[in-house]
Amino acid sequence: MLSIKNLHASVEGEEILKGINLEIKAGEVHAIMGPNGSGKSTLSQVLAGNETFEVTEGEVTLNGENLLEQETEERAREGVFLAFQYPVEIPGVSNLQFLRTAVNAKRKHRGEEELNAAEFMKLAKDVSRQVDLDPSFLKRGVNEGFSGGEKKRNEILQALLLEPKLAILDETDSGLDIDALKVVSDGVNALRSEDRAILMVTHYQRLLNHIVPDYVHVLAGGRIIKSGGRELALELEEKGYGWLGVKDDDASN
Amino acid sequence: MKTAPMLSSAFLHPAGQTLPEPLLALRRERAGRLVDMPLPTRKTENWKYSSRHLKLADDMAISLPVGGKTGHSLAVPGYKVVFVNGVMIPEASEFPDFDGLSIRSFNDLPEEDAGKLADRLGSTLDPKQVQFAHLNGARFEDGLLIQLKPGAVLDQPLFVIHETVGDASGSAYPRVFVDAGANSQMTLVEEYISDGDAPVLVDTVTEFNLADGANLTSIRLNMEGENVQHIGATGVVQQRNSRFESHCVGFGGPLRRHDLQVRLEGEGAETKLNGVVVTQGKQHYDNHTSIDHVAAHCNSEETYRNIAADESHAVFNGRIHIHQDAQQSNADMNNKNLLLSSKAEIDTKPELEIYADDVKCAHGATIGQLDRIALFYLVSRGIGRRQANVLLTMAFINELVEQIPVEAVRETAQTRLNEFFEQTFIEEN
Repeated sequence: MLSIKNLHASVEGEEILKGINLEIKAGEVHAIMGPNGSGKSTLSQVLAGNETFEVTEGEVTLNGENLLEQETEERAREGVFLAFQYPVEIPGVSNLQFLRTAVNAKRKHRGEEELNAAEFMKLAKDVSRQVDLDPSFLKRGVNEGFSGGEKKRNEILQALLLEPKLAILDETDSGLDIDALKVVSDGVNALRSEDRAILMVTHYQRLLNHIVPDYVHVLAGGRIIKSGGRELALELEEKGYGWLGVKDDDASN
Repeated sequence: MKTAPMLSSAFLHPAGQTLPEPLLALRRERAGRLVDMPLPTRKTENWKYSSRHLKLADDMAISLPVGGKTGHSLAVPGYKVVFVNGVMIPEASEFPDFDGLSIRSFNDLPEEDAGKLADRLGSTLDPKQVQFAHLNGARFEDGLLIQLKPGAVLDQPLFVIHETVGDASGSAYPRVFVDAGANSQMTLVEEYISDGDAPVLVDTVTEFNLADGANLTSIRLNMEGENVQHIGATGVVQQRNSRFESHCVGFGGPLRRHDLQVRLEGEGAETKLNGVVVTQGKQHYDNHTSIDHVAAHCNSEETYRNIAADESHAVFNGRIHIHQDAQQSNADMNNKNLLLSSKAEIDTKPELEIYADDVKCAHGATIGQLDRIALFYLVSRGIGRRQANVLLTMAFINELVEQIPVEAVRETAQTRLNEFFEQTFIEEN
């Protein structure tokens, strides 16, 4: 499904990703762990197409298609979804209007009939309940005044509505209390399917108690320095990143 | 020394003589004062950004012909009065059959009423700030006198459609005068539209008098075409505990100018002024507002938003004058601006004059661009760049558009604004 070969990326001339190699097959859940500043978020943003980051070398394909040549919106319509670490507040655009515009852009791309307001409302209400977000949030501005947990649930709501092929979850567990973590994890688990790949980016392993990955990779200094199964995350939890000779400047958290 | 340009004498000759004598006399008197009127230039403070957009050729002095087709654009769920080129068209109008409301064309006024009106026309405006209101006074061919009896609550909005038909060059001088009696209530929608493509001048004056406890909502939609230079003045005088609410939505043109002047003369009066302006291409829009807190214990709240694209230019000049006796005044003015291109220009200027010592007066102005991060967020969901830009631009003004209290007007404004922005972002896919 997703193939990343020797990916280098930089921001304002500083190289952040220094040769990432990663293969994710449909149906698999991969976790990327790493200390702050290791390049985890950069990798997510580059895959989604944020132009702030410049890809200087390497190749990324999604089902054989060159992802790096596509505009952000094309990638999204082709099935790339990034759940943001910090979802953006957009006062003045209602959540409902935003979600319906996004869903219809995708349906149009697939040659499907666009949903009218009533049809979409029904769908959005159903999915809201699934992520335990009161349907009243649909009427508010996008993420406007949402708590941290509500924002994350709104991200998962979008993922469920947009049915991506590749879902990238950037620090989806950050800022969540135990109950919110459970709700968000249930949402992510509902996303798991045989024809979908999930890439979870996280600093901590606690999310992985709820969403059990097939593979775990450790990212440090812009490279994947170790890969393994689920047990690698537990080992990291126990021994810390220092065990791999990596400095974790965020160890206090 | 270079002499200042003068208003051409061609502009001082009204065509029709159908008005009752007191109004004809008033018109002659106003015209007399306009002889040798200097036109505003770059050095005229209240016109410094707009004078170069003023293009008054002699052939624009001609009064546009009375009548003609009307194609008003609102599906009106209320009462309506249609004016074409400044003259009422009764057969296109739907007059309210409502007890407490009198609506009359200036041309239909008995001499006595016309005399009373003549004494009051222009009384709500500061004569020094509205040069073109004087020209309207010298040239109006008709007008609308709206009188709401004390205690009357109009059950539906009243639409006044001002259509300018410019098949040939000329000018029109629409005029509206409103008397809202004590504790009366009404919503007036003024819609300015146009047809034809010859260069024309539309010079308007609207006056509102709110007696004690009156509650009046004014909605003004400026949707005229690219051939129209529009210069309008609105004067409002408010007595004790009255409430005035204004919603102006303006689309740019070669010249758009609106002066809105509010005088809070009675204690406890409240005024709320909302404005949205959008410009593109080489359009120009200039809003000058002025709020005079004359009496104590009055509140004013003003929120204007400008959005300028391409090489267009928007101006907001907001004056608040708190007089010496206006203790416990509360005034809040806010102007936010969005530039959609590096060649667009917005000038914003607050002018506060405060002569009382126990007042709350706040003002704020910002100029910004679309948020790149928000744009990335939207396109990362598959929303096209053009649509994402339109959504974010609408978001900048939605808060104000949503406050327009008449659904049909709100929807018209939303649709037109959306179309405008889709046009603006046409180069992006």
